[in-house]
Amino acid sequence: MTDVATALQDPLEEVAPPKGQHGAAAWAIWLARRLGLAVLTLWLVSVLTFMATAALGDPVRAILGRDYNSNPGRVAELEALLGTDQSLVSRYFDWLGGLLTGDLGVSLANSLPVGGQISSSVVNSAVLVALSAAVMIPLAFAVAMISTHYRRKRPDTVIQTILLAMAGLPEFVIGVLLIALFATTVSQVLPAVTLVPLGGSPWDEPKSMVLPTVTLVLWVAPYVSRIVRASLLEVIDSDYVELARLKGIPEKVVMRRHALLNAIVPGIQVIALQLAFLAGGVVVVETLFSYPGIGRQLVDSVRNHDVAMVQALSMIIAGVYVVVNLVADLLSILLTPRARTAISS
Amino acid sequence: MNQISRRHLEISRRQLLRYSGVSAAAVAGSGLLAACGGDGDGGGGGGGGGPQRSGGILIHGATGGGSKDTLDPHAPVQAADIARCNNLYEPLLFWNNNYELEPALAESVEPSADAVTWTIKMRGGVTFHNGKTVTADDAWKSIQRVANPKAPLSAGGQLSQIIDFQSSKVVDETTLELVLNTPYAILDSLLAEYTLGIIPGGEFDPSNPVGTGAFAYKSFEAGKTSTFTRYADYWGDAAFVDELQIQDFADDSSKVNALQSGQIHTVDNLPYNLIDTIKGAGGGVLIAEGGQWVPFTMRVDQAPFNDVKVRQAMRLIVDRQQMIDQTLSGYGTLGNDMYAPLDVAYASDLPQREQDIDQAKSLLASAGAEGLQVELFTGDDIGSVAVPAANLFAEQAKAAGVDVKVTKKTPFYDDNYLSYTFAQDFWNTRNYIPQAVVGTFPPDQGGTYNETHWDNQEHRDLVNAAAQETDEAKRAELLHDAQEIEYNEGGLIIWGFRQQVDGYGANVQGLEPSKYLPLGNYKFQHVSVQ
Repeated sequence: MTDVATALQDPLEEVAPPKGQHGAAAWAIWLARRLGLAVLTLWLVSVLTFMATAALGDPVRAILGRDYNSNPGRVAELEALLGTDQSLVSRYFDWLGGLLTGDLGVSLANSLPVGGQISSSVVNSAVLVALSAAVMIPLAFAVAMISTHYRRKRPDTVIQTILLAMAGLPEFVIGVLLIALFATTVSQVLPAVTLVPLGGSPWDEPKSMVLPTVTLVLWVAPYVSRIVRASLLEVIDSDYVELARLKGIPEKVVMRRHALLNAIVPGIQVIALQLAFLAGGVVVVETLFSYPGIGRQLVDSVRNHDVAMVQALSMIIAGVYVVVNLVADLLSILLTPRARTAISS
Repeated sequence: MNQISRRHLEISRRQLLRYSGVSAAAVAGSGLLAACGGDGDGGGGGGGGGPQRSGGILIHGATGGGSKDTLDPHAPVQAADIARCNNLYEPLLFWNNNYELEPALAESVEPSADAVTWTIKMRGGVTFHNGKTVTADDAWKSIQRVANPKAPLSAGGQLSQIIDFQSSKVVDETTLELVLNTPYAILDSLLAEYTLGIIPGGEFDPSNPVGTGAFAYKSFEAGKTSTFTRYADYWGDAAFVDELQIQDFADDSSKVNALQSGQIHTVDNLPYNLIDTIKGAGGGVLIAEGGQWVPFTMRVDQAPFNDVKVRQAMRLIVDRQQMIDQTLSGYGTLGNDMYAPLDVAYASDLPQREQDIDQAKSLLASAGAEGLQVELFTGDDIGSVAVPAANLFAEQAKAAGVDVKVTKKTPFYDDNYLSYTFAQDFWNTRNYIPQAVVGTFPPDQGGTYNETHWDNQEHRDLVNAAAQETDEAKRAELLHDAQEIEYNEGGLIIWGFRQQVDGYGANVQGLEPSKYLPLGNYKFQHVSVQ
């Protein structure tokens, strides 16, 4: 996992003081610039995705393996389907054109449209990520506040040690430990995998959502918690909080009104980053718990060399990254008076 | 046998099981039924203690499935497909647990003296899941679909070449006469493949697949889950469980976790490193003798392996037991540089080759190949056994002064496949004749995967003669001679065969090991859950 502290960009730095523009117009320009950057990022991702899936090695050979030499008929069939006889550039633009018009192509594995096959997976993954976020965000903030409250005392030390240790664990280790504890070896109170009946959803049996969600929460909460604690401490040590205290405002109010609000912005940034991580990290967790989402589908498609499927899923995951970061930046600006005025003044 | 008496027998058998609770009685019960031509598999005996109970849902977990999954009886791709097909459809003959042929939808399959004309008598009173009676016409149309010369399906490659489609005909409702272009004495073994299930009119309808198996189609979603219900009018032993579910898993550990937590009841292809986990959790492990192999392949037409002494030296370098212990965790049987160990004609009387470094050294010296250096090509796409086996071989070869450089290729199966001087490959269980044809004949005579470039007229004549010999004893004799030639001169180093290991939960009964397919050939009608 990337080091959150260094990966975090300060949204305030991006906001250059505008000259001669006011209010809505300035906002529109800022937004347009950010959207343009997002589109550019996605386009670069699409080039990379296409290169990685289509250009590196012959996909037909990868699909057929041992039978490549003995089955010229199937080779020709696949080549026609994949269009490997055309130039790479024209294939790319064909694909990009389809992508823009919502045509994700046809799966190699079963000749069905990709779009129809991944829609339920996308929903399943989105629910899992949303549920994890809904549990993780209040939890991380609560832990951070407790830690701050006991700053440099024993509870704080204990919490920080635990968080640091947990932050070092990869998601599959957390998942395997939880399965051993609650589903297989130690006790069997929760299901180890998600079995979904035909046409059903994973949340039809809520128990089966518990372990995947807890795994994701435990995976990202330590980061969020540590960052929020750091910013809370920074705020508490600042002059204006000191001033508030000197004015005799009760500690609780100081914490809530002054410290927490100001610590929220870095919190949003780190949460955004972690949500984006969740979208990618869900691959491992879904495979581990056999959860029917995009992660599991991606693994399946990679194994089948299902090029169209891999491309579509990669673009969706990349899209989530970009959108989540965009929303986080927007929220940060709106919640930071200095940045707000910098844009619209 | 008519329906009424069969039912009567079945009830008495169930009662026998229910009241006796002794597995010996179960064997006697199924034996009685088999003697009446009722049971194709002779299975149903208890795996655990106590009698088997009817009812409930059996959930089987499989890995390897995905969006490619199919219910097409004639084109299954991976293990989950085979499991589904084996419960939905049935071929004319069965391979039983001992890898011997048994009648299934056909009562008999008899060749003429010259092995050109084959008469197939259909079993009476067998119905498809849609209620229609199975006829010789259904069998013929199913065979035509599989062996379509323009586009043969999984089991049809060889069939499409040997069947004379003009002369073959349906004689009457229960008799099919297959005429061949060329004598072929083991046609019955081709008709027993699980990829040759009989379907009504030879037409497969993906939205409503119909077969004759003990379970009928209920629902299917590729890569996820499929359900089947007990077919009450099944001609053999009707299933114990009311419903069968086959669940796809993305990886082995989640499959095993689900078994441990009691969410599923059976898993096939249990990874060797998880066997103790299942045993520790109170589950059962089913181990069956297998015929899958990962050979080293030496090109007999290229230096240094064009000298038979060098080939023999290489074969004497391998410590076969160590190979099995280290790369198969001990779950394997010794190989003797010959394939098809489950074939009745397997030449088990030839002396077991063992590591003999001194002999290998002197053979290399007399071939002028001391200090031999060879490059061994391997790759992950051969299978998980391949790379560890290659590295172990390189280690073992050092003792004989042979320097083996292991080169891992990704992908291994590229343009260079079949042209490597020294490499590996993988093979599943097959009988000798079909294996010899694809693996040792020249490409223009059917040797699609002749890795060693072996081209031996004498060997080929023996195999071809055997394929036309209807007398089993004489056929075995011919095949014995053929195997002896390969044993002495061949280019394959076959150090062992992988055993089949499957897992099941503590509450599962009725599973018996089979040499053919995992979990007792996936015949889940014999399995009950508590």
